[in-house]
Amino acid sequence: MTEELILKNLDAYEIQQYQQNRYPCFFVDFIEEAIAGKSAKGYKNFTYNEWFFPAHFEDEPNVPGFVQIETLTQVFLMTFLTFPENKGKKTGFVSVKNANFKKKIIPGERMDIEATLASYRRGLAQGKATGYVKGEIACRIELVIAIPDIMKEFRPKSSKE
Amino acid sequence: MVNLEKYTNVFVSTFSITEEQTKGLKYQDIEAWDSVGHMGLIAAIEDAFSIMLEPDDIVDFSSFEKGRDILKKYNMEL
Repeated sequence: MTEELILKNLDAYEIQQYQQNRYPCFFVDFIEEAIAGKSAKGYKNFTYNEWFFPAHFEDEPNVPGFVQIETLTQVFLMTFLTFPENKGKKTGFVSVKNANFKKKIIPGERMDIEATLASYRRGLAQGKATGYVKGEIACRIELVIAIPDIMKEFRPKSSKE
Repeated sequence: MVNLEKYTNVFVSTFSITEEQTKGLKYQDIEAWDSVGHMGLIAAIEDAFSIMLEPDDIVDFSSFEKGRDILKKYNMEL
């Protein structure tokens, strides 16, 4: 039986060793725990200094839906980019399903994210992530994410891509 | 014969096609069988037959018929 790889308390710099998202598209402040092949927990603090708040919206600043999706996703990435062979690889969306947005997130709030990996095989990861604000569900999604560099190794020879 | 039915059903359910459409079907003949669909198909076949395909076989798995030949290597008579 192989031992679980558990990572604790990764700061923003350390998280960026595992994934290639960078400012202004980097949306995780801290990973409290990541269990490779299983789950990840982390959070993002949204302050008014975020680049999107003045534009979304001037008189009613709140976190855009696409930022919520990206934040959930970036924590989810830590469930499989923490496999040593995947560390630092680029990823891409395959699908986002059942996206639910339950709560408006405003400047000063922190979103806690819990992500679980349902399956990972040959560069294709499936799972879900849920965001909480003050203990209440704010948003959740089901995801399929690819690591193109790995997937292309398994494409049939007749590939036209 | 049971295995062939199971094999065909994997294509039917993975790509949402009819049994008739599986005949002669090749990689990228339909939109659903792209590089992502290929990974889904292989995973579904592995689950259905409780096997793990070798990387070379996954790359060679370029058509419905080719897949039948490949599965023979895993002692699956289709």
